[in-house]
Amino acid sequence: MIHFEHLTKTFGRYRAVDDLSLDVKPQQAVALWGPNGAGKTTVIKCLLGLLRYEGRITLNGFDARTQGRQARSLLGYVPQELAFYDDMKTLESGYYFAQLKRADMARVPLVMAQVGLADHGAKPVRALSGGMKQRLALALALLADPPVLVLDEPTSSLDTAARSQFLNLLCQVKAEGKTIIFTSHRIEEVEALADEVLIMDTGKVIGRCPAYRLAEEAGLRTQVKLIIAPDKLDAALHVLKADGFTVRRNGVGVLVDVLPREKAQPIHSLSRADIHITDFEVE
Amino acid sequence: MDLHTVWTIARKELRDALHNRWFLLYTLAFIGLSLGLSYLAMSGSGIAGFAGFGRTAASLINLVLLIVPLMALTVGAQSLAGEQERKTMAYLLAQPITRLEVYVGKYLGLTMSLFASLVLGFGISGLVLAIDGSGASDPWSYLILVGLAFALCLVMLSVGFLVSALTRRAGVAVGIGLFLWLAFVFLGDLGMMGTAVAMRMPINGLFWLSLANPLQVFKMAAILNINATLDVLGPAGIFAMQEYGSKLPLIFIGVLVIWAVLPGVAAFVRFDTSNDF
Amino acid sequence: MFRPNFAAILPPSLVAVTLCVLLTRSAHGVAARADAPAFDLQAMIAQAAPGDVIAVPPGTYAAPLLIDKSVTLEGNGAAILQGDGSGNVVHITAPGVTLRGFALRGTGLSLDREDAAVRVSAADVTVEDNQIDDALFGIYYENAPRGVIRGNTVVGMDLLESRRGDGLKLFYSADTLVEGNTLQETRDAIVWYSPGTIVRGNVMEHGRYGLHFMSTDNHIIENNVLRGNSVGIYLMYGSNYTVRNNLLADNRGPSGYGLGLKETNRATIEGNRFVNDRVGVYSDSSPLRPDAVVTFRNNLFAFNEIALVLLPNVRHNVYTENVFLENGEQLSIAGGGELAQNEWALDGRGNYWSDYHGFDGDGDAIGDMPYVSQSLYEDMAARHPELRLFQLSPAADAIDLAAKAFPIFAPRPLLEDPHPLTRPPALPPVSGMAPPPVALNLVVALLLLAAATVVLTLGLRSFMPRDTPSTLRTSIN
Repeated sequence: MIHFEHLTKTFGRYRAVDDLSLDVKPQQAVALWGPNGAGKTTVIKCLLGLLRYEGRITLNGFDARTQGRQARSLLGYVPQELAFYDDMKTLESGYYFAQLKRADMARVPLVMAQVGLADHGAKPVRALSGGMKQRLALALALLADPPVLVLDEPTSSLDTAARSQFLNLLCQVKAEGKTIIFTSHRIEEVEALADEVLIMDTGKVIGRCPAYRLAEEAGLRTQVKLIIAPDKLDAALHVLKADGFTVRRNGVGVLVDVLPREKAQPIHSLSRADIHITDFEVE
Repeated sequence: MDLHTVWTIARKELRDALHNRWFLLYTLAFIGLSLGLSYLAMSGSGIAGFAGFGRTAASLINLVLLIVPLMALTVGAQSLAGEQERKTMAYLLAQPITRLEVYVGKYLGLTMSLFASLVLGFGISGLVLAIDGSGASDPWSYLILVGLAFALCLVMLSVGFLVSALTRRAGVAVGIGLFLWLAFVFLGDLGMMGTAVAMRMPINGLFWLSLANPLQVFKMAAILNINATLDVLGPAGIFAMQEYGSKLPLIFIGVLVIWAVLPGVAAFVRFDTSNDF
Repeated sequence: MFRPNFAAILPPSLVAVTLCVLLTRSAHGVAARADAPAFDLQAMIAQAAPGDVIAVPPGTYAAPLLIDKSVTLEGNGAAILQGDGSGNVVHITAPGVTLRGFALRGTGLSLDREDAAVRVSAADVTVEDNQIDDALFGIYYENAPRGVIRGNTVVGMDLLESRRGDGLKLFYSADTLVEGNTLQETRDAIVWYSPGTIVRGNVMEHGRYGLHFMSTDNHIIENNVLRGNSVGIYLMYGSNYTVRNNLLADNRGPSGYGLGLKETNRATIEGNRFVNDRVGVYSDSSPLRPDAVVTFRNNLFAFNEIALVLLPNVRHNVYTENVFLENGEQLSIAGGGELAQNEWALDGRGNYWSDYHGFDGDGDAIGDMPYVSQSLYEDMAARHPELRLFQLSPAADAIDLAAKAFPIFAPRPLLEDPHPLTRPPALPPVSGMAPPPVALNLVVALLLLAAATVVLTLGLRSFMPRDTPSTLRTSIN
């Protein structure tokens, strides 16, 4: 469906993407995962024809560079920074982009309903909440019923509730058979949506794996902050170090470095040592 | 190029312009000032018993020289840079449309908005003048005056687009646009005046040099249209009449076309190869 | 044109000639009335007695024609005198001749010979109601005083201005009356060494000098229309002129003066309308003597590029009760410099200036502050005429604005009217100005507004399909 062959993008001497090759199969969901500055968004922009690049990108055989219009007509794009025409009404935005995409006008209200914006059509876009805007972006991407969805950090700007709601929506869309390529730095998003993950750092692909193995593959750590009574702090540090945790003192508590799925382990260790934990936070 | 897409973008651009407060301000100023000129013409015709449309037209030319470049440069400068700054440009270009369609659509939309503003001003003052009986003795020359002002609009719009394509932020683009306005309207002419006096430039050189300023070209074309002669412009105007005579309209229109096309094409090339969204 | 009933006023001798003519025509049958009638005009003149009236029947007659006897020739507007394109069409050498009601054409082309449609070299000759077309020179009186030139129309040749001849030329022909003639597309109407000539009610259009007076005195020039010439009226080297109630409009081009004065003494310029000229009045060395005042009274200077262009040598001019209305510039001093010894008001009455910004506190219709004409740009343009290229440019306004803000740059005032009128004085009624086509102008204005409405409607239309409920379609803004 989507082929990247030796995609390289340089800004001056800086290589934002360095020799990326990728083959996204129909109905597959591929995540580009990595920290900020890894080059994920640059890959998306190259795919959209917003940037010049070296190498080759094709969608269903259409060259993204020389046949940009045909290539882009196969995909719906949800950008990271939502930028709509704020003074347009929500529904009118739908009709405007439907005209640009040469989509069927009758689909506009249907898609709006699908993303749960049916009751907000008369509001100007600027009056929508962040979650609604994100759903509008998805609706606009789906207007022409394209086979491919391109999502750039789809939930980064949402709060927890809106995030899970939106992820559900994306999973539905995926279930309808869309091919998805998206960027993310959130492991739960990748785990929920992606089939395969490319792990990127400073422009390079440093690993690829099935989505469920991402955490291990990436050696991903979470920090747990444990609040402990001041007279027990030294003892707690000692116990945790003895149990093999990477730990350091932080104000009224300690910070423990753990794998994401082992966040309860330091609590167990301290309980065993009879050290009382007053509170904890996960960062 | 898909005309449906171009037209959709043009309509959007026109719609945005009609909601742009700068655009509305300039339009109101243009209408207000041209109405003021009509009022002057009316009071003149009240005294003389008839109107001298030539002087009214001269004032209109003066007004167009002042306001039309300001209007067109400002909206042109905002056009590309504004959307880029609001990040909507990247989103727009991610649609299955080409940059040529976006560019032409935006140009067409802004052209329509400037056209509306222009014919509104000229229409209202023309109406007042006509009702008062102090209108043009040749209605064609009034229409041609409107057409020339529109040509000047296109020139300044193209220059504005070029500025917009070369800048990333709308504020900067408008700033440069305002500076260019100052340069076209005041600094260029003042500089040429100084040069003419200080260097004792021959009048043929002065005439040709003045063609470098599209505002001068519009002005000369408009005067030629109203008076059928450039004698008002002193020795240089008389030289031009004697030397080029009937070729003058062609020269003027040619220069205006070049001024509209070159910056417009350059702006598109810059926009099309832009790598910065 | 009004023609009195012919038969009712026929003198006996004319009846005789007419009968003779009718006889001749019937004798030669229909063929005689063709293009070359058998009626031999030259022979007829030869046969006629002085004082005879010869009624010439309709038809085309070969010219040149020499009128060397004091007769009256009546063409009744239907007789055509066709010259052979070499020299004059008609030459009148006898005094007291009247040439009336002919169409004349086919002059020669020689400017050296001054080929004319009607050449007169005798006194008391009347040339009246003739239609002269395609003429190098039209009517040329040389050493022919006391003539009457009335109701003729002269249309010049389609030549460059410099290669045309004069529509009317008076040379050493004093006390002539020139009245009700129309001259179009000729060079000048020139009055030369012909004092006492009165020029009244004529129309001179699209020529070089509408009326040109050279070295000649004592003239009344009134109720003429001088339009679309290079110069409307040019007075040179003469004295005692009354120029009144003329319309001098649309006189443009490199000179482009409504009225030009050069070394003219004692002139009263009164009740004229200078409209839409490049320059209303241009004056050089007039008057030459301090006592030979030139007075401008109750004239209208409206919508000209420059109302007055005066050379610094112009003194002893008086301007009173004139209206200076919406001119591009009110006054320019050619070549820069200063004016002196001119009066801009007489007996406490100045002029009306449409750019006067003073006030009238005591309500006597005379401004309480003098009117001062002062513009840095105009001052510069007077010194450096090439700067006129920047006429109407906002940069020119900027220069004036700067001069107002920083008085150190302000030039010396060109003129100061101590008693400016705050209400325009009554002007003689205006005629000869064609009103603009109101209906057509309305149509044009409405067309423009319709175009604006179309575009605005388009711009306010929503992207929603037309069948969307109206609550969703109305724009929030």
